[in-house]
Amino acid sequence: MATNLLDWLRQSFSGQNDCEKCLELLELIMDGEASPEEEKLFHKHIDACLPCYETYNLEASIKKLLQTKLKRKQVPDDLIQKIRSKIRSTA
Amino acid sequence: MSEEKTKQQYTDIEKEQIFDKEFLPHISSMYNFAYRLTFDEDDAKDLVQETYLKAYRFLNSFQQGTNAKAWLFRILKNSFINDFRKKSKQPSKVDYQEVEAFYNSESVDVSMTTDLRVETVQHMIGDEVSSALNALAVDFRTVIILCDLEGFTYEEMAKILDIPIGTVRSRLHRARNLLKEKLQAYAKSMGYNK
Repeated sequence: MATNLLDWLRQSFSGQNDCEKCLELLELIMDGEASPEEEKLFHKHIDACLPCYETYNLEASIKKLLQTKLKRKQVPDDLIQKIRSKIRSTA
Repeated sequence: MSEEKTKQQYTDIEKEQIFDKEFLPHISSMYNFAYRLTFDEDDAKDLVQETYLKAYRFLNSFQQGTNAKAWLFRILKNSFINDFRKKSKQPSKVDYQEVEAFYNSESVDVSMTTDLRVETVQHMIGDEVSSALNALAVDFRTVIILCDLEGFTYEEMAKILDIPIGTVRSRLHRARNLLKEKLQAYAKSMGYNK
């Protein structure tokens, strides 16, 4: 599947533009799942295509929002102790 | 699947070491995941405790040096579905099958149109993000937590959730679009956009 995708990317990106394919790659790029070649093609496209560039920025900003603004809850103090004693009593 | 082929025989000391060094460091992630699934501190505690007890009980099927965090998350997710959802105060509105039947296809739908702006997103605060995320059905919430908050790869997510990678991608894509809709609605209600 990966090689097919690449072939098809090479074709589409060597031509004019293909925003649809760019958008399909977007999440792979954002999630660090794209190959170096896919990344190169993707960035080449968004360098020249403002709508895709903006979509990418928006998606990335939402991901960043989740990572930076969501408060993490503190683990209750007694939880580890409880787990340990439960293990001891059942072992 | 393949990693289940060999069972280990750990001594009690080894077991304790693995538990302390490989399992316990993930307790904060586990607790936060559990809380985002159950929305209840006591339920989250129970779920994490249950997960660690199971992990200890089945420690011989864990191979040292492999991905302990993914293994623990998988146990937690299964405990949540099998034992917990039934008695949870927050029953899920959508179930996996329903969700998959709704949009399962090989091709990821590429429509991402929205008038949400980057600047709007950047100004949002934790509570707004949190309620948008919490408003998603549990299956969608889960993939966003695993990917964006916990940084699991698609392959790890596929193992944790017992679904093919293609389904991970389509579910994640759909989840993100739904989240965006919630954020968009929120921005509108606050008069951020237009």
